[in-house]
Amino acid sequence: MGRLHGTLGVALAALLVPAIAVAQEKTLIINSFGGSYEEHHRRLVIEPFEKEFGVRVEVVTAYSGDTLAQLRAQKENPQFDVVHLSGGLETIAATDGLLAPIKPEELSNYGDMYPFAVAGIEDGIGPMYSTAAIGLLYNTEMVKTPPTSWKDLMQPELGSHLLVTDAASNTYGMLAMLMMNQVNGGDLGDVTPGLDFVKQLLDNGATVVSKSPEIQQNFAQGTAWIAAYAQDYAFTLTSAGLPVKFVQPSEGAAFAPITVNLVAGRPNRDLAVKFIDFSIRAEASAGWAEALRYSPTNRTVELSDELAAEVIYGEEAVAKLVGFDPVQIGESRGEWNEAWKRALTK
Amino acid sequence: MISGVPAGARAIAVIIVGAVVIFMLVPLAVVVLSSFSASQFLVFPPRGLSLHWYGAVFGDQAYVAAGWTSLKLAILVTALATLVGTPAAIALTWHRLPGREILAGLFLSPLVLPTLIFGLGLLMVYSIYGNGPSFSGLVVGHLVICIPFVIRTVGAVLGASDPSLHEAARTMGANRLQAYWHVVLPQARPGIAAGAFFAFNISFDDAVVALFLRAPGMETLPIRIYSQLEFSPDPSVAAVSTIMIVITIGLVVLIDRFLGLRRVV
Amino acid sequence: MGGATAGRPRGFSVAWRRHKEALVLIAPGALVLVLAFLFPVGHILVLGFLGEEGVSLEHYAAFFVDDYYLGVVGRTFRLAFVITACCLLVGFPLAYLAARVGPRARILLILLVILPLMTSVVIRTFGWLVVLGPGGVLSDFLQAIGLTGAPTGLLHTETGIVIAMVQVLLPFMVLTVLGVLQRQSADLEEAARTMGASFWRVLRTVTLPLSVPGIVSGSLIVFALSISSFITPTLVGGVRLPVLAGSIYQAATGSFDWNFAGVQSTLLLLTALAVIIPYASLMRRRTSWQTGAAPGAGHE
Repeated sequence: MGRLHGTLGVALAALLVPAIAVAQEKTLIINSFGGSYEEHHRRLVIEPFEKEFGVRVEVVTAYSGDTLAQLRAQKENPQFDVVHLSGGLETIAATDGLLAPIKPEELSNYGDMYPFAVAGIEDGIGPMYSTAAIGLLYNTEMVKTPPTSWKDLMQPELGSHLLVTDAASNTYGMLAMLMMNQVNGGDLGDVTPGLDFVKQLLDNGATVVSKSPEIQQNFAQGTAWIAAYAQDYAFTLTSAGLPVKFVQPSEGAAFAPITVNLVAGRPNRDLAVKFIDFSIRAEASAGWAEALRYSPTNRTVELSDELAAEVIYGEEAVAKLVGFDPVQIGESRGEWNEAWKRALTK
Repeated sequence: MISGVPAGARAIAVIIVGAVVIFMLVPLAVVVLSSFSASQFLVFPPRGLSLHWYGAVFGDQAYVAAGWTSLKLAILVTALATLVGTPAAIALTWHRLPGREILAGLFLSPLVLPTLIFGLGLLMVYSIYGNGPSFSGLVVGHLVICIPFVIRTVGAVLGASDPSLHEAARTMGANRLQAYWHVVLPQARPGIAAGAFFAFNISFDDAVVALFLRAPGMETLPIRIYSQLEFSPDPSVAAVSTIMIVITIGLVVLIDRFLGLRRVV
Repeated sequence: MGGATAGRPRGFSVAWRRHKEALVLIAPGALVLVLAFLFPVGHILVLGFLGEEGVSLEHYAAFFVDDYYLGVVGRTFRLAFVITACCLLVGFPLAYLAARVGPRARILLILLVILPLMTSVVIRTFGWLVVLGPGGVLSDFLQAIGLTGAPTGLLHTETGIVIAMVQVLLPFMVLTVLGVLQRQSADLEEAARTMGASFWRVLRTVTLPLSVPGIVSGSLIVFALSISSFITPTLVGGVRLPVLAGSIYQAATGSFDWNFAGVQSTLLLLTALAVIIPYASLMRRRTSWQTGAAPGAGHE
């Protein structure tokens, strides 16, 4: 029922907003990721922004990959003012000159951000408004001893109950692969140890999935016991009543950036930058943590203990997050994808 | 039934029909049954029975808006596809154009070409030479994949009919328009209706072209479903699909009423 | 029609007049076809020949020296052959049945066959995921009849891909063969039968040979459609069983290598054309290229 009320709220807001927007013709075009993500996005950022600045924000549902494809195709004439991207695609987009740089002084919230979250803004990589931690998910009913290390994935008795996420099409999968690579002695220059590790997992019978719903399906059907995936998704599964828990492995969890970026070559830069600044407020960051268990990137966010336990929170915990150089990821990803496909194909 | 069919052949026929019924209908039945699920998940068999997800669909502004967009799109595409496809079918069927074979192949090629190549190409062309994807851009995209069906169905009906009637009308002094209006169109009508039906169906169901040509404020129903499946798959997807299946069946019934299915399929 | 304004050029030969009329009729469709189809597709195809500096075959070279991509092409064709064979095996008897039963039963059979096509590809495939998946309907069924002890499934197998694809492509085969069988008079069979030939013998020596054009064209269209589908093979087959169309999608939206997507698109297009041109000419010779496979609605 809560869902229905939420929808009602959205509908009411949608009725009210145009009335304000008529006065001012300013419109911002952005993307969002659809589903409940988009609902929260509207509630936490988009609608408050419209109200505060008296503008209209048009939302196109498009995931990072599709958004980047559209940006590329529309290079001469982009339709978006602001794009939300994730998992390294912002770096590719910035390298391609599709995104515009932002100066620190243009963002009033700049000083409140963890340094890793705003590291790339002068190169066109927008600030991370939240981040997802990539670690291990396990079925609390089927798994007696919870995994504590990435190496715990190597249990032949898991067989097809271990889920490996496709690294070529899914950024979380790629980050998990990089973690497996790192704990097995590899680095960004050489992912062979990681691929070998994955190949062994596959020889043990591991199931490869590529999209989140497949992971949910497998946990819901009871066929998945352990999966390397994101903390926010563990929350999606638990709030759906599934016996799933997230573990940050002893070697650390990787973080997946979720960024809000300024598109190059659009007329209303000022408004777009305001939107970006608005997106990284502490309130928004806290809201994302509360709603979907994304870890805050704004250090002034205050969370309850209960909530803090379910995300990566506080200087100390954040320091343990493993970051991979997005530029190098951007450069090598194509190569990794090719190697990954070859490792996987039967 | 023809006579003298041995029992063995009859048995095989029964087995094949039975197997095909199961094979064709089980996946659809799974979708329909899942829509009545009380559970949060798209799992089968559904746990608990409820109409909750239908309420969720009609209460969801995004689904409703997408439904209207899809409906508008499909109606427009259907009208245009029949208008453009019918004359082309007449030309390809009754006129001995040089290279007719190749022309026919070209006209039908959108049927066999992966729609994804086309969708990607269209997005590029719109962006380079225009203002990016738009509703009318999507109409054009759907037009391309729908016209071949109109050409096919109209061509089929005309191919089975007699071109000499048209000739006769012309010899008897009817002008071109009269000849088309009074002779050709009535003959082609079942084909046009069938073509319109397919055009509507394709446009209404297409996910691939629409995926590439997304633009602000024009999310179609299949794209809405796709988004839902990608991010938070719940039985609302099954509910929407069931509604779409019902719409299709409704169309089939309608076309049967007015034309008789026998003349169409 | 715009041609009417051109008056009646009686001086022209009949042939010319006919052509002119045909050209006017075909013009709007041709315009859409050229501007909105051939041009964008051409755009993509050209990409395959664009290297770092001007025209180049480097992307093609990269494709053809790579065992991985050759393997992808191999799987695509292998699957297409199997899918076509299965469609034929199931489709011919079904079409024969539909051709020889009464009109009401025929309509029911046709509706049965085209029903899956009327649903969106995402939904249809979702249905198969639930049926074929581990702990799915098929697995439950197999366990119930005691064939397997543990949850099993055909998800992420080539068999699974074939099953899901045959469901979508069967109507193309059935309707194409049916089109030919219906034009064949049942009287011929009846006559052969009264002359003492058995049912099977008539089927083998009369019906089957006369159906060859339908069988061939049905097979061609099924083959062409099966090599160009990507949503079903990708979702049912998973990432470990890549096919060509899926690989194009991946190159375009995953690794953003549009040039490489162009190369693969070109190869796919050429194959499809190599299949569709004989198909079209075959159908034309039967004066019926238009019939059959009309309800392709909903195929990817």
